[in-house]
Amino acid sequence: MAYFEIDRLSKSFGKSKVIDNLSLSVRQGESVVVFGPSGCGKTVLLRLISGVLRADAGDIRIDGESIAHLGPDHRDVAMAFQNFALYPHMTAFENIASPLRARKLAEAEISRRVHELAELLRIDHVLGHTPRELSNGQKQRTSLARSLAAPPAVLLLDDPLRNVDAKIRYEMRLELPRVLREYRSTVFYVTQDYKEAMALGNRVGVLYDGTFQQVDTPAGIYGRPESIRIARLFGDPPVNLLPARPELSGDGRAKLRIGGSDLVGPPSLESLVGRDLLVGIRPEDIEVLTEPAEGAIAVELDALTPLNVRAVMLLRDGQGTEILASCPEDDRPPLSRGRRQVWARLDLGRALFFDRATEMRIH
Amino acid sequence: MVELAQDRALPRARSSARDWLLPYLLSLPSLLVTIGILIPFGTAVYYSMERYNLAFPAGRQFIWFGNYISLFGDPGFWNTLQVSLLYTLLCVGIQLLLGLGIALLLVRRTWFNDVMSVLLILPLMVAPAIASLMWKLMTNPSFGILSYLLTLVGVERFPWASSPDTALFTVVLVDTWVYTPFITILLLAGLRALPKQPFEAAELDGVPQSFVFFRITLPMLMPYILTAGLFRMLEAIQQFDIIYAMTQGGPGDTLMVFQIQAYLSAFTYTNIGRSAAVLMVLWAITFLLSNLVIKRWLKLRERRHGNA
Amino acid sequence: MIVKAVRAVLLALVALFFLFPIFWVLLMSVMTNQDILRSPPSLIFEPTLENYVALISGQLDTSVGTLEVAYMRNLMNSLILGVGSVLLSLLLGVPAAYAFARFRFRLGENIAFTLLSFRFAPPLLVLLPLLFYFQQLGLYDTYFGLIWVYQLITLPLILWIVRGYFEDISEDIEHAYRLDGHSWLATFLRIAIPLARPGIAAAALLAFIFAWNNFIFALILGSSDVQPVTVGALAFITASGINYGQIAAALVLSVVPTLILALFAQRYLVEGLSLGAVKG
Repeated sequence: MAYFEIDRLSKSFGKSKVIDNLSLSVRQGESVVVFGPSGCGKTVLLRLISGVLRADAGDIRIDGESIAHLGPDHRDVAMAFQNFALYPHMTAFENIASPLRARKLAEAEISRRVHELAELLRIDHVLGHTPRELSNGQKQRTSLARSLAAPPAVLLLDDPLRNVDAKIRYEMRLELPRVLREYRSTVFYVTQDYKEAMALGNRVGVLYDGTFQQVDTPAGIYGRPESIRIARLFGDPPVNLLPARPELSGDGRAKLRIGGSDLVGPPSLESLVGRDLLVGIRPEDIEVLTEPAEGAIAVELDALTPLNVRAVMLLRDGQGTEILASCPEDDRPPLSRGRRQVWARLDLGRALFFDRATEMRIH
Repeated sequence: MVELAQDRALPRARSSARDWLLPYLLSLPSLLVTIGILIPFGTAVYYSMERYNLAFPAGRQFIWFGNYISLFGDPGFWNTLQVSLLYTLLCVGIQLLLGLGIALLLVRRTWFNDVMSVLLILPLMVAPAIASLMWKLMTNPSFGILSYLLTLVGVERFPWASSPDTALFTVVLVDTWVYTPFITILLLAGLRALPKQPFEAAELDGVPQSFVFFRITLPMLMPYILTAGLFRMLEAIQQFDIIYAMTQGGPGDTLMVFQIQAYLSAFTYTNIGRSAAVLMVLWAITFLLSNLVIKRWLKLRERRHGNA
Repeated sequence: MIVKAVRAVLLALVALFFLFPIFWVLLMSVMTNQDILRSPPSLIFEPTLENYVALISGQLDTSVGTLEVAYMRNLMNSLILGVGSVLLSLLLGVPAAYAFARFRFRLGENIAFTLLSFRFAPPLLVLLPLLFYFQQLGLYDTYFGLIWVYQLITLPLILWIVRGYFEDISEDIEHAYRLDGHSWLATFLRIAIPLARPGIAAAALLAFIFAWNNFIFALILGSSDVQPVTVGALAFITASGINYGQIAAALVLSVVPTLILALFAQRYLVEGLSLGAVKG
C-alpha cells in the first residue's frame, strides 16, 4: 500500500519545466534514494514536497491525505539540509529541540528526547555549543538529529553527506541505515553519489529531465538500466559502449563483431539480428588475459591504473576503440605498465543491449 | 517499479490566500507612508500650476504653466539656477579632489590611519545647520579664531559670509568641511576593495608611480568616484541647512539657491505657486540625477548579491 | 624619506582642518565671555562649566538681564523625534524589508523605489503642501506629525539596509524552521530578526543620527515647542545679547550625542551612508 505518494507533479519557472509530470509511490518505512546529476531538479522536488514551493499541477499525499495545500509547518515532513541549515544563534540542544518546541512539549520531555537522540548520534557532549563551535561532522549529526526529533511521516535528506569529509561520510554511510531503522522513517534521500545511492536505498529513483527515468532496486538499476544515460551514471569506471550489429552465424546462433573478431552472443541476441546496437559491457565483466584464448579478442593495453583496490586497464581494439576493464588488484594478470599486446574476454552473457538510435535498452 | 498512482482526476495545486497576501500585508504600512508622500507631492505639482498667494487668497486660480513661464522670464530665477549650479560644481569638485587625496593618504592600514579614518567621520555626523553655526562662531569678526589667524598673515577684516565676494567661498568651505569625509570614506572603502595583482605586477615591472595612479588606480576606482560624486551632487544642489543657517541666502541674492529661493518665496513673499514651481524645476533635476544614482547603485548591489 | 615627511605634514593638515572646529568650539564652551573676547586669543584660561549650568537651568545671564531659554526642551525634542521616528520606522520598515527580501512582488519593488526616490527629492516640495494639510488636520506643531514626516529620511534608510541583511540570511535556515513546525510569524520573529539584528541595530543608529541632524522639517512644520536642537540652536545664536560661551556650549550639546553614536557605529557608517552601495 502506498504511504507517501507524489502524483503527476509539475513545476515550471518561466519557460523551463523543472519538474514534469513526476509520480512516485513509497511504502511506509521504505528508503527511496533520489539520484540525479546536478541541476536535475532534485532541489525543486524537495522544495515542492516540503512546501516552500507550490506545484503548478499535481498532488502530494501522505497516507491518502493531500498535503499540497498545507504550509511547510503542517506537512509532517522533516528535512536535513545539505548545508545543514542550523540556526546559528542557538545551541545544538536548541537546534534539535526546535521541532519539539513547535509541538509545545513539556520541558522535561524535550530534554529527554534531545538527549536520547544526541546519544544515538554521539553528539551528547556538544549539545551546549553553537553551530559555529561544531565540526562539520557534528553539524551534520545535529541537523540529522533535528530532522528526527519529532519523528516525521516523511523524512527528506538532501545530500546530507555532501559537505562532510571522507571519513565522516564513510562512517555515516554505515551508521545512517541503523539510525533510520531505529526511527522507522519513510525516507526520501537525495544524492549525487551513485555509491551512496546503491548503499542506502531500498529503491533508487533516477531523476533527470524533470521526472523519474527509472525506479528500481540498486541491483536492478545497475544490472538493468533503462537507458544508456542511466547505465553511464552508475558505475566507476563507466560502462563500455561498443557499436555492433548482430548477425546470424552458420550454426544459427547470433554473433557480434567486436574488435575484429566474431563473438558468440547469448540466446537473447537472436531476436536482435540486423539491428544497430550499442553493446554495454561493464569493465568488471571483461577479463584480461596475457595469452590468446577461445573467445578473447586481441587488444592493446594502453594504460594500467589502480583505482581504490581495483586495477583499471585501458584497452584499445584493432579499430582504435577504447575499452575499459577492471578487476581486483590482487587478481590482475601479471602485467607491467608498458603498452603491450593482451587479450580480452568479454562476458556477453552479462552485456546490456541498447538501441543505437533511441539509446534505450532492449529487453 | 513505479506504482502508478490511481487514476484520479488531477487536482490543480491550490495556493492558500495567505501565501500571496503575506508580502502585501507586510509592506502595507510602508505603502501607506508612500501614499502619504505621494499625495502632498501631487498637491505640490498642482500648486505649481496655480496663481496662489496667501496674501491674495481671492486671486487663487489655475493658470497651467503660468508660473513656469514667468519663472523663465525672471532674472531672479536664472540667478538661482546659476548660484545652485556653481555651488554644486564647486562643492563636488573640491570635495572629490580633497576626498580622493585624503583617501590615498589613508589607504595603508596603519594604527594611525585607522584612528584618523574614524575621527574623520565626526564632521559628517555634525548636523549641517550646526556646522554652519560652528563656523559662524569661528569667523566672527570680533572674536573668531579664523579671523584672528588671518590677521596674523596680514589679511585684515576678511568679511567671510557678510560680503557677496566671499559668501560663496564661506559656505562652500563649510560644506567641504562636513561632506569631504563622506567621499573619503567611500573612496577608502573602494581603494581597499581593489584587487592587489595589478599593483604587484606594476611594481615588479618597475612602472612609475604616476603611471600606476592614472592608468590603474584611477580607472578602477572610477565607479566609486562616480557614485560618490553623484550622491554629493544630488545633495549639494538641494543644499538648504548650511546656507540658511549661515546667511539665509544673502547677502542680497548671492546665495539664493533653489530651496532657499523656494523657502523665501513661500514664507516671506507668501507666493505658494511660484515656490512650488521653483521646487518642481529642482525636482526635475534631482529626478534625473537620482535615477542615475539608483541605477548605478542597483548594479553594484546586483553584483554583490548575484542574480539568484 | 621626503615622501614620508610630506605625507605626515599633509595628514597633520587634514586632521587640523577637520578636527580643529570641533576642538575649538569645545574649548569656547568652557570659556567665559571675557576669555573669548580677549585679543589675541589665548589657550591659557580657567575652564568653567558655567555656560553649561546656565543652559541646563535655562536661566541665561546676559548683558540685558536674565533670559529664559528652553534649550533643554529642544534637546529633549530632538531625542523624542529621533527615537520616535526610528521606532516607527523599525515597526514599518523591518516587516516590509523582509517582504522585499523574501518575496519577489511588483508592488514591493515599486514601494521601495518610490521611497528611495523621495529620499533624494527636495524636502520642501513635500513640506510645503504638508504644512497646509497638517494645519487642517491638527498635526502642525505636534510630535506625531513631525515623526510621521521624519519617515521620509528614516524609513528608506532602514528599509534598504535591513533588506540587504535579510537577503544575506540563508533561506534554508528559515525553511528549516518552518519544517520544524513553526509558523511563518515565529520564523520571522525568532530566526530572521535575530539573525539580522546587527544590521537592524546599525540601520537604527544611522537613522537616529540622520533624524537628529535634520533641520528643515521642524523649521517648517513646528514651532519652538517641538523644534529640535538644530532649529533651536539657530534661534539661540540670533537672539541678541547671549554670550558666546553659551552658544558654543549649546552647539556642543547638540553634536555630542551623534558624535558618540557615530564612533560606536563607525563600522556600519560606510554602508549606511551610501545605502549599502559600496558594501565590500
